[in-house]
Amino acid sequence: MVGMAVLGVQARAWRFGVYAALCLPLLSCGGDSGGAGVSSTGSGGSTPAGANVVDIVVDAGPTSTSPDVNTLFTTVTVCVPGTTTCQTIDHIQVDTASYGLRILAPVLTLSLPVQATASGSSLLECTQFVDGYSWGPIALADVRISGESASAVAVQVIGDPKFTTVPTNCSSIGPAEDTVAAFGANGILGVGVFAQDCGSGCATTVDNGSYYECTSALCQATTVLLASQVQNPVTLFGTDNNGVVIQLPSVAAQGAATVQGFLIFGIDTQTNNKSGNQTVLTVNPGDGDFTTVFNGQPALTQSFLDTGSNGLYFNDTGLAQCTQSNLTMFYCPSSPQTLSAVLQGQNAMSATVNFTVDNAETLGASDPSFVAFPTLAGTYPTANTFDWGLPFYYGRTVYTAIENTMTAVGTGPYVAF
Amino acid sequence: MRTVPSAINVKKCVFPVLLIAALSPRIAAAALGEPETSVQTEMARLHASIAVSEHANYRLHELHLTSGTVVREFAGSDGKVFAVAWSGPAVPNLREILGQYFDSYVTAAKAPHSGHHHLQIRQGDLVVQAGGHMRSFAGVAYLPQALPSGVSVGDLH
Repeated sequence: MVGMAVLGVQARAWRFGVYAALCLPLLSCGGDSGGAGVSSTGSGGSTPAGANVVDIVVDAGPTSTSPDVNTLFTTVTVCVPGTTTCQTIDHIQVDTASYGLRILAPVLTLSLPVQATASGSSLLECTQFVDGYSWGPIALADVRISGESASAVAVQVIGDPKFTTVPTNCSSIGPAEDTVAAFGANGILGVGVFAQDCGSGCATTVDNGSYYECTSALCQATTVLLASQVQNPVTLFGTDNNGVVIQLPSVAAQGAATVQGFLIFGIDTQTNNKSGNQTVLTVNPGDGDFTTVFNGQPALTQSFLDTGSNGLYFNDTGLAQCTQSNLTMFYCPSSPQTLSAVLQGQNAMSATVNFTVDNAETLGASDPSFVAFPTLAGTYPTANTFDWGLPFYYGRTVYTAIENTMTAVGTGPYVAF
Repeated sequence: MRTVPSAINVKKCVFPVLLIAALSPRIAAAALGEPETSVQTEMARLHASIAVSEHANYRLHELHLTSGTVVREFAGSDGKVFAVAWSGPAVPNLREILGQYFDSYVTAAKAPHSGHHHLQIRQGDLVVQAGGHMRSFAGVAYLPQALPSGVSVGDLH
């Protein structure tokens, strides 16, 4: 039953008290050293070091009462542009399926300048997620991560109390995710394959769903030049700006309380980020997706690698789904199932990946402090996708090359592992 | 080179929409669960072009939005929309597309679930399945009780 609560993963199930109701009594009665937990560090090889390396961690998240599972975080410093007025913010989620830095306003103590449009209005964004939207202004900040820095980066401040009037077209896609509690992190660092969050569509189409220019009285949809859109900050670093390498250790089948790894900036720019014999899969230059071939299904052409997904999500009618009411989208095989899929790039290169799916209702049964689970998997809501979430990254070194940049083994956008 | 400020472009786009909406009084905005005649209103509100095709068990209205996203509305022999699906770079206006079901959708979407990249909702007579990531979103909403015989969920994309 512990597993149910832990997997009530569902970060938000915990936030609604399920965790407290079910896990805490067990913690206090268990009598073991559960709190000490199991942690995984390193990646088997040498520990990377350097100004282009920042620690990343899977842990219980920014508030102890709201643990997420399989959520990857790092620490980012933002400064008022051109000043030494800075703030270091932990528990920024690392996400390879979005682009740009977004910070939740309640944790931001700085006053960052909001970008103005040509007409003198403020530039705001309705960031679209599948399960809702995050509304807030586009501000400029100097961004420092480890020894890397970029000046006057366009970032989003989510839930800024100075901009509370949300356009109907924005609020018409779902619920707001404008608080740390709703968002599950203090912010999000999108370091995927694109240089801007929206791209050419928002530069040419007014009704792009994302960008608005606002006065105190009125917001209206607007186009935004590429350079003014929220930027993947990596592209603006002085060096090491063509992509990232994410390195995470393997995680024991029963799970871990913390997992520590490394986010390395640049590909083939330093001794610690050299390409090796990994397979390079070029991705769709429009949406970043590639093809997965799995289980005899038609090609899953909208597949993606995503540190921001907390499980492997795909459809397999041969796997039993869980029956507990808040876990029905997860798989619950009676014993661990080892499966295999082939990932194919647009360059016709391919790689076979083996993975294991275990019973989501019993994950974490050995220790309620566990939040990292390598075998968590569930169904995907649409038919043509395999979402390779964070469990894919455990035990791997994964390269993400940004669009239109060169590396020793090819031009981005690509993913490689 | 055009030097028209973007604000004027916006007005140009909005004007014919308001006109059409004004000429189509009191037609329900909702697509899902509504008569398919409401699709025309919706097309105008969503700044869309449209293509209609006949299939064995349903009629498909395909709306191409200016955002690049495609919305597909499935209507049965009773003329009512029993499913809507979308795919493309932006999430469409679900308030328009889900109509009377939008509020229960929002309520359900707030409930505990995993991550920002997938959503599965079963609430009363409504099912919503959605997934994707920045620059690529897809989803389907349907009324299981209204699915015509011979139509499976797998057809709804």
